[in-house]
Amino acid sequence: MELPDLLQAFFPNGHSIAVNDWLVSGEAVLDGGTVSVLGTTNHAFIGAAEALIVSDKLLAISEQHPGRPVIMLVDNRGQRMALNEELLVLPEYVAHLLKAQQLARLNGSKLIAILYGPAIAGGFIAFGMLADRIIAVPGAEPSVMALEAISRVTKMPLEKLENLAKTISVFAPGCDNFFKMGGVYEIWNDDFSGRLQQLLKSDVSQDLRARLGQARGGRKSAQDVIDEVLRA
Amino acid sequence: MSLPIHISFLEATARKRIAGLVDPGSLREILPPQEKRVSPHLGLFDAPVSFDDGAVIGEATINGKPVFIFAQEGKFRGGSLGEVHSAKIIGLLQRAAVKKPVAVVGLFDSGGVRLEEANAGEIGATEIIRAIFDVQKAGVPVIGLIGGSCGCFGGASIISCCCDVLIASEEGRLSVSGPEVIETIMGVEAFDSRDKALVWRTTGGKNRFLFGKIARLVNDHIPDFRAAVSEFLVPPQAITSGILRQEQQKLQSRLDLYGKDTDAREIWSQMGLDAAQVPEMSAEELTAAAKKS
Repeated sequence: MELPDLLQAFFPNGHSIAVNDWLVSGEAVLDGGTVSVLGTTNHAFIGAAEALIVSDKLLAISEQHPGRPVIMLVDNRGQRMALNEELLVLPEYVAHLLKAQQLARLNGSKLIAILYGPAIAGGFIAFGMLADRIIAVPGAEPSVMALEAISRVTKMPLEKLENLAKTISVFAPGCDNFFKMGGVYEIWNDDFSGRLQQLLKSDVSQDLRARLGQARGGRKSAQDVIDEVLRA
Repeated sequence: MSLPIHISFLEATARKRIAGLVDPGSLREILPPQEKRVSPHLGLFDAPVSFDDGAVIGEATINGKPVFIFAQEGKFRGGSLGEVHSAKIIGLLQRAAVKKPVAVVGLFDSGGVRLEEANAGEIGATEIIRAIFDVQKAGVPVIGLIGGSCGCFGGASIISCCCDVLIASEEGRLSVSGPEVIETIMGVEAFDSRDKALVWRTTGGKNRFLFGKIARLVNDHIPDFRAAVSEFLVPPQAITSGILRQEQQKLQSRLDLYGKDTDAREIWSQMGLDAAQVPEMSAEELTAAAKKS
């Protein structure tokens, strides 16, 4: 979905959401109340500077509107790959952004990620995968690494990977694969605003992904292993 | 006179590292190799499996205090995060949030997500982070150690930076994208991964220590890691707006001061250090020099 269509579909009552280059930020009114909206667009890269700008917005939400739901709009091509980024300790910037999300959660905010574009590797971890629920809408392309790149790195023939990707969900990009693994909670194609308001009424506090991955057949071992360790 | 015996963290296996960190004989491993929890996916790629999937987890004591411990085995598929590997660590953390040991100690040695299980590894990495946050919320600190031969990259690097405290040796490398990945995707002029000195001074423990992300820089000697861990068996600092605002300011000024630099030596000079000497210094010497600068 294009961003203007997405905003219209999710927030038909109106919103005050500003788009500045790659940053999307503002608020919208749903029947249940006001929600904060924060995200990226234009297939942003997440580097140290971007992580700090988004963290600052999240901290402001926690300070000014503790407990208000945060709708995270996810469209990024991954972490910015550059020597100067890594020189500064990029994982510390990403972790800071994750702690800002955790602070919002500790203050009672429900964090809902809406994937509507690419959501790749470190960028997806930085912004999206730490939400309470992760929703995919048309255009969402969650991915760790393209099959061509996996083939180059692992030296496995691309054809073999493509064949495997037809039957298992564990490594290839795409919404359906992430859904089967439990990494995407639901895929929505209509009634976006209604579904969002229903979701916000539900208890989203538990990380259900391992359990969903087991139920959907994509990750048959993870939940069993977790349970075994808890019982040991 | 007998010379002190050097016990390298870098070269040891995950179990050897744990043995040197905890009280002798105190480890009770959970899901040990005898239980054979192997990757259900690697066989499809005709790749070998390991009976512990490259993750050792268990309960032990340090100075008589109960700790939970996990260690990634870099010698099995680069310590990569697969489905079972991640689930063992998630289970241990969830157990810690309930049982509340004095600390969870995590030994990182990982190139990141296992590509044959990329989606499971990536999701697993973020489930680990959720579980770390829950452990911290329960009042238990998570202490991360970096000093293995695979370093701490990709998803593992982000997990490690969510820990309360990081302890590393100079040999312990930490970054999201590894030098080889940056070179493959952005070109050799962006990052020459064969230039080992460049790799060490960019991603190595000394540079991370000088930025303040590593709380204690130690020499590559397991007893030194143990001594440092013993210092941090204290309750974690809660995540608050005040703490994160301070961190925001620290990271912003680092970006403002050094964001355009592409060589750690420029940064070390700006910090008032003798950049040519930094690679030669021991952990103690660099710690002393950093206090003065």
